[in-house]
Amino acid sequence: MSYAYLFKYIIIGDTGVGKSCLLLQFTDKRFQPVHDLTIGVEFGARMITIDNKPIKLQIWDTAGQESFRSITRSYYRGAAGALLVYDITRRETFNHLASWLEDARQHANANMTIMLIGNKCDLAHRRAVSTEEGEQFAKEHGLIFMEASAKTAQNVEEAFIKTAATIYKKIQDGVFDVSNESYGIKVGYGGIPGPSGGRDGSTSQGGGCCG
Amino acid sequence: MSMEATELQDLSDDADYAASQQQGSASMMRSDSGKRSLQSEHEDAVLIYLKDNVAIHPTQFASERISGRLKLTKQDSVLFLSWIPYKGQTSNAKLSEKDRSLYTITAVPFTEVRSIRRHTPALGWQYVIVVLSSGLAFPPLYFYNGGVREFLAMVKQHVFLARSSEDQNVFIVNDFQSPLQRTLSSLELPSSLPVASGQSVYPLDGGSSSENQRRTSSDVGNRVSSVSQSGFRKQKSHDPTRDLSIHLLEKFSLVTKFARDTTTQLFSENNGFGSIDKRWNNQPVHSYPEKLSNIAEEKHHEIRHSYSENDLLKDDEISYIDVPADPLEFDKLSLMWGKPRQPPMGHKERRNDISPSIKCRISTEYFTALLDSEGRVVESKALRERVFYGGIEHQLRREVWPFLLGYYAYDSTYAEREYLRSVKRMEYATLKQQWQSISPEQAKRFTKYRERKGLIDKDVVRTDRAFEYYEGDDNLHVNSMRDILLTYSFYNFDLGYCQGMSDYLSPILFVMEDESESFWCFVALMERLGPNFNRDQNGMHTQLFALSKLVELLDSPLHNYFKENDCLNYFFCFRWILIQFKREFEYEKTMQLWEVMWTHYLSEHFHLYVCVAVLKRCRSKIMGEQMDFDTLLKFINELSGHIDLDSTVRDAEALCIEAGENGAASIPPGTPPSLPLDDGTLYPQEDDVL
Ligand SMILES: Nc1nc2c(ncn2[C@@H]2O[C@H](COP(=O)(O)OP(=O)(O)O)[C@@H](O)[C@H]2O)c(=O)[nH]1
Ligand SMILES: [Mg+2]
Repeated sequence: MSYAYLFKYIIIGDTGVGKSCLLLQFTDKRFQPVHDLTIGVEFGARMITIDNKPIKLQIWDTAGQESFRSITRSYYRGAAGALLVYDITRRETFNHLASWLEDARQHANANMTIMLIGNKCDLAHRRAVSTEEGEQFAKEHGLIFMEASAKTAQNVEEAFIKTAATIYKKIQDGVFDVSNESYGIKVGYGGIPGPSGGRDGSTSQGGGCCG
Repeated sequence: MSMEATELQDLSDDADYAASQQQGSASMMRSDSGKRSLQSEHEDAVLIYLKDNVAIHPTQFASERISGRLKLTKQDSVLFLSWIPYKGQTSNAKLSEKDRSLYTITAVPFTEVRSIRRHTPALGWQYVIVVLSSGLAFPPLYFYNGGVREFLAMVKQHVFLARSSEDQNVFIVNDFQSPLQRTLSSLELPSSLPVASGQSVYPLDGGSSSENQRRTSSDVGNRVSSVSQSGFRKQKSHDPTRDLSIHLLEKFSLVTKFARDTTTQLFSENNGFGSIDKRWNNQPVHSYPEKLSNIAEEKHHEIRHSYSENDLLKDDEISYIDVPADPLEFDKLSLMWGKPRQPPMGHKERRNDISPSIKCRISTEYFTALLDSEGRVVESKALRERVFYGGIEHQLRREVWPFLLGYYAYDSTYAEREYLRSVKRMEYATLKQQWQSISPEQAKRFTKYRERKGLIDKDVVRTDRAFEYYEGDDNLHVNSMRDILLTYSFYNFDLGYCQGMSDYLSPILFVMEDESESFWCFVALMERLGPNFNRDQNGMHTQLFALSKLVELLDSPLHNYFKENDCLNYFFCFRWILIQFKREFEYEKTMQLWEVMWTHYLSEHFHLYVCVAVLKRCRSKIMGEQMDFDTLLKFINELSGHIDLDSTVRDAEALCIEAGENGAASIPPGTPPSLPLDDGTLYPQEDDVL
C-alpha cells in the first residue's frame, strides 16, 4: 500500500503498563490480555489518514525492564514519535517517567513528538495517579497528554493519530527536513509536501496493515 | 526492485564490469554505486571465449527474443560465465529495457554452477541451460549460430565437467556436492584437468570445502583465516602437477567422507531420516516469510530452500543483485560437514496401537541401555553425541535434561541421584519458605521483594499461555512457575529476576513436571546463562561481541557490510541470544534445539554458530536490499517461525567445524554459556531497584 509519509513510532515505559496491549488495540482493534511479554522489540504497523493523506505508522514496541535499557536506547534512533506510557494504577510507573524522558531526550532526535499516555483508565477505582498530575507532568515537559485504556480502546486511536497529526503539522511548518530519514519520516511516492495528493489505494482509516 | 533494476542496467553494459565483480578479494563489497568495482583492476580478467548471437526467449514466442553476447572469462583461476544483452536491440518493442537487464548474467563463477544441460535437436536451435548449485537455473541460452559443442568443450578445458550417468545431455560441474557415484565418476576425468594450460582450475582456498573432516582443526583454522583475509588467494606461479595432485587428494578425501556417511546411513535404523541423496534431491523447505520476499529475492539463489527446482525452472524472471560472494561457499558447506540428523534418541516407530505408557517404557529402556548396572552414564561423550545429532524423544527428556544441564553428574549412580533429589527437595522447600514467610507487614518494608514479586506475577501470566500446559485461568503450572522464579530470586538474590527467565523455565517445568526438580535444573542452567540477565548486560554484550568475531571469521563480506551500515552491535540478534531462540521456533522445536546446544558437543557456544548459520542464509537478502539497522532488525524479528531447524543446525555444525580453533579463539574466555570464572561475587549489582 502506498503512503505519503511513513512515521516511525516507539512505545516506551515501564514493563506491564500496557504498551503491547495499546499497540495491539491500535493495529488489530482488540484487547488480548493473554499474550507473551515483550523481549527486545516487536513491530506493528497501520495506515491512517491525516489531511486526506495516507500515512503509514511503523510502531516499535519495546521491552520495559530496566536491564534492557541499553538495548532499548538503540531503538530511538530515527523515531519521529514516541508514546511514553505509564499505568495510572501503579504510582511507580509514573515516578519513572522522568528517567524515560531523559533517555528519550538523549537518544532520540530533538524534534521527536512525545505523547504521554496514562493507560488503564478503565481501572479508575484503583487509580494511583490523578489526571491532573499527568497533565501537569506533560505540561512541564512539553508533551501531549491523554489518558487511555487498551482494554476499552478509549483514546487509543486518538493517541496514535494525534501524535501523527502533530508530526504532520511539524512537517508542514518546515520543522523537519523530510529528506533526512534520521527524523523518522519517510516520504512515500508523490508525497512531497503540497496540496492534496490524491492517489491510489484506500485512504480510509483503519485496517491492519502489517509490514 | 526499481533500484536494483536500474543498477543492473547501468552496469551491465560495461563489458568489464562483469569481470571486475569478482576481483581477487572476497571481501569486496557490493557495488551499490558501481564506483568501487569500476575502479578495480581490470587487467586480471582474461577473456577465454566469446560468442555472439546467443539469445534468450522471455516468452514462448520465438519472435520475442533478447540477443546478446556470451562470454567466459577467467580471473584468479576462476572461470566466470556472463551473458550481456546487446544495447537497444530487442526484437520486439514489448520487451522493455527492464527485461533486458533482468536477464543479464553478470559474471557467475563456475564454482557456483552445478550443471549445464544441452539441447542439440536435429531441427531447431541449440540451447543450453545453466543450473546453479543453488538449484536455480538461468533461462535457456539459444545459440543462434550453433556452437554448443564448442562452448562445452571450452568449459571443459577449464573446469571439471562430468557427464551425468543419468542423462547424456547433462554435464555436471565441479561435482563436489553430489552423491558418491558422481564424485567417483568425475575422478575418471583427469583429461579434463588443465594440465596443459598450467593453470589451477578453481581456487584452492576458495572454500570448495572438500577437505577431510579429520584434518587437524588448526589446519582448518588456518585455512579459514586465509580465506577471510584474502578471499581467493592468488596463484601466481602454477605447478600443474601439484594442482593435479591436490585435486585428486581433495576428491579422495571427499570420497572418504561420503563413504563414511553413507555407511553410517546404511547401518542406522531405516527410519526415513534424510540420507544424503534425499537431502539433495528433496531439499528441506526453508520457507522464509512469504511477505518478505520481493521479486529480487525470489530470483536469488539463496532463497532456494523455498522453491522446488521445477518452480525455479519455470521462473522466467531471473535477475541478480550483486552481493559479495560468500567466501566459504556456504551452500556446499553444510553438505560437506553437517551430518544428517537422526531420529530423536529413544525414538521408536510410531504405531497408533502403542499406548503412550508403552512408548514411554521403550524410550526409557533405550536410555537405560546407556547406563551401567548402577546407573552411571558409561560414556557421556557418546550420549552427548547421540543427542547432538537428533535430540531426545520427549518422554526421555526428563531423564536426560538434568545431565545435560549439569544438575546430575554423569558418573552418579541411581542411588546417588535418588539421594540428591531428596536432599534438593528439602533445600528447595527451605528456600521457598524464605519468601513465603514474609508477612504483609514485613513486605511493606521490603521494596525489593515487592517489586520482584510484582514483576514475576505479571510475567508468568504472560509466558506461553497459548501453550496447553500453561493455558487457562488459575493454572497450577503457572503458579509453580511463579514460585520457582521467586524462589530463585532469593536463591540468587544478586541476580534476582529478569525478563526472559520465564521463557527458559517454561519448557523446563513442562519437561520435568516437578517443582523442585525444575528449580534445580533452572539453577544449573542459570549457572551458565545467568550473565544474560545481569543488570549491566555484560553477558549479552560479550556474546554479541563474540558473534561479531565469528561472522568476521566466517563471512567477512557480511561483517564488512554490518560495519559499514552501523550494525556491528548485533542488537538485531539480541532476542536470539537472550533466550536461545525460544521465540523463533515453535515449542517442540525449541526444546530440540536447546538439548542440541546443551550437549556442548562441538562447542559450548554452538548457539552463536546457529546465529551465524541463519545470518548466512539471509546474507544476500540483507546485503542485496541494503538493509539498514532498522530494516535489518525488523527483518530478523520476522524470521520468527520461518526458520527450518534441522538444516539450520546442520549449517551451524558445518560452520563450527569449519571455524575450528580459530572459531574458538574468536570467543573471549568466560563468554556465556561458559561457566564463569569464580571470583566470589557472581553478579555484581549496582545498589538500585530490582
Ligand atoms: N485493565 C486493563 N488492563 C490492561 C490494559 N492494558 C494492559 N493491561 C494488562 O496489563 C498487562 C500488561 O500489558 P502489556 O501490554 O503486556 O504491558 P507491556 O509490558 O507494557 O507491554 C496485561 O496482562 C494486560 O492484561 C488496560 O488498558 N486496562
Ligand atoms: Mg510488551
